[in-house]
Amino acid sequence: MTAEAGPADRTEGQDSAREKAQAQRPWLRLDKRLIAVDLVQLVAAQLPTLVAVAVFDVPPTLESLWPVVIIAGIGVATSVNNIVRWIKTRYRVTEEYVERRTGLFVRRYRSVRRDRIRSVDSQANLRMRVAGLRVVYFGAGQQNTAGEQALSLNAVSKKTAQRLRRELTGAGEEPAGTEPDGDVFARVRYRWVVYNIFNVWAYAAAVGLLVSAFVLATTFGIDLWGPAARVFDPDVLGWGGAVALALPAVGAVGVGSLAVSFFTGYWKFTLSRVTTDGGTVLRTRQGLLRTREVNRDDARLRGAKLTEPLLWRWMGLTETSVITTGLSVWSDAPVILPRGPRSVARQVVDRVLGEEERPLDAGLARHPAGALRRRLLWASLFTGTVVAGTAWSGAMTDAVGPDAWWITAVVLGPVALLLALAAYRALGHAVAGAYLVMRSGMMSRGTAALRRHAVSGVAVRQSLLQRRMGLASVTVTTAAGEGAYEALDMAVDDALSFAADGPPGILEPFLVREGPRNR
Amino acid sequence: MTESRTPVPRSRGAPSPESPRTATIRLRPPANRVERRAIAWWAMRAAVFALIPCGAAGIAYAVVEQAREWLGPPLVVAVATGILLTAVTPWIRYAVHRWETTEEAVYARSGWWVREWRAAPISRIQTVDTLRGPFAQLLGLSTLVVTTASARGAVRIGGLDTAVADEEAERLTEITRRTPGDRT
Repeated sequence: MTAEAGPADRTEGQDSAREKAQAQRPWLRLDKRLIAVDLVQLVAAQLPTLVAVAVFDVPPTLESLWPVVIIAGIGVATSVNNIVRWIKTRYRVTEEYVERRTGLFVRRYRSVRRDRIRSVDSQANLRMRVAGLRVVYFGAGQQNTAGEQALSLNAVSKKTAQRLRRELTGAGEEPAGTEPDGDVFARVRYRWVVYNIFNVWAYAAAVGLLVSAFVLATTFGIDLWGPAARVFDPDVLGWGGAVALALPAVGAVGVGSLAVSFFTGYWKFTLSRVTTDGGTVLRTRQGLLRTREVNRDDARLRGAKLTEPLLWRWMGLTETSVITTGLSVWSDAPVILPRGPRSVARQVVDRVLGEEERPLDAGLARHPAGALRRRLLWASLFTGTVVAGTAWSGAMTDAVGPDAWWITAVVLGPVALLLALAAYRALGHAVAGAYLVMRSGMMSRGTAALRRHAVSGVAVRQSLLQRRMGLASVTVTTAAGEGAYEALDMAVDDALSFAADGPPGILEPFLVREGPRNR
Repeated sequence: MTESRTPVPRSRGAPSPESPRTATIRLRPPANRVERRAIAWWAMRAAVFALIPCGAAGIAYAVVEQAREWLGPPLVVAVATGILLTAVTPWIRYAVHRWETTEEAVYARSGWWVREWRAAPISRIQTVDTLRGPFAQLLGLSTLVVTTASARGAVRIGGLDTAVADEEAERLTEITRRTPGDRT
């Protein structure tokens, strides 16, 4: 096991021998400008309170001022936290390690071996950009599915961030403020905004926005509720009318805020392959107020995945991500393209993978009818259970009416059966050149193309029900991406050849090969 | 450990990866059975697993009088399922669970409702651990856990004699050390 090679958390003083050996390198502080930024933030957080009291004559009591007091409190807390972090954090880059000490009450020492560092990325929000600061994230290979960055520095100057990246990933020097050089695979098309704003999150965003607007306005003595209640007055419009008017209105606010976040998040989005001293990286740059640059080492690339939830699938839309080791699947670092048309996504994936035999163009094998029967059976069982439960509680208790069971059956039954059909139609698998292609998913269809040599384990699975239906599933495990990818419900014969010939050689010692049998 | 190689009986012609209908390849069962006392181990674990919902429902039935009216049937179903799980599944597991390690790979068959044939090549192994829960300690059993770089790729072989598991872990660690590979 390579425990000492990965990032290690230790309390102070456990490895003084190594520290002495490398003591010649100085320990560095985070950038001083962090303090200036903090003081500005500290003052800015008090402004709402001051304005409320001084300009709007809000009585200075806690009952009337609590929303702005919360804002001020959060401002103070984060500023103090940032200043403490600045005071207590030291870092250094030695020949072998990147090291960081931090922490006020619990002193933490963390080191990452330099040859384990796979990516050095930087991020900055607006106030950091104004001050020329960057947050630097170091990603190491071991973390693949742990969902944690190996190490981060919050924050250093832009120059230091660039120097660290050059030093640790061998990325070449770049003139500031220019477009990324190298092969540009995709740029954002701003008309894609329409694909990225119409979803249920619009309502969540709207509710958040409206609630804070109402609360803040109330603090400043402005009554937004009164006018709103007059416009959507149920006594005038009737309840149906009020809801019919309010739902689109709230939706429009949400769609608007999602549009704003799309433009600020994906501003000048570019995906490119850049040649560096240490090889090539796949780079995305994006952001208007908060800029973000992610570099993904091509040596760690193991495949790509298209994700298509049900509604987008019908609109021909997909989200595109890479399957790679060392990037957490829980962050959006693997995402290489905003939600957009499938045709564009496929072209981009083809160029990213750079294969002669394009994995995504491979014809996927249809799965046997048994797979459909299994899904229909599960859908029926699910519906049956819910209907039986409803009927039982209708008969035994007053929780639901006596007619509830057949209404449930009429509504739930067809939906469940249609979803079963959709899930069946999503199934597919292929061995295409150097890649395995696996597609499945009921609500969200995922198509994964995984390098065959990246497979680090195989599991063939068969439930007793699958056995009756002549089906078997194959799971291939890998260090990259989600850790495992599945080809579900193939005919047993297909499952065997997929498991035997897909991931090269893993099952070979446990196979019996014989001449064709006749039965 | 019994070194028998009897294949699973083909049940009513339903195809399994070990007895496919027309394919020219098939999986063979792993060479070794697990210890017979693993049956007791699985039964204990199933009993504890079943006791939690049954106990909760039983206490609710005894204490909350209003609940008795509707809690009866679920309680009966839960207890019956628990008894069935405890009495039957350990025997099925004993018939299914088999394992094997070679110079190239670790191979195991497991499960009772969902059967699983799992293999991991030595060149990808990252850690080899042995694990002993309270019941396993009581029976002198260990679980061999072989992990690869994948977070979801561990091969777990339960119900091994502690001495066998330790010896196997040592052997695998030694082979892994000798075998080149980038482990990812």
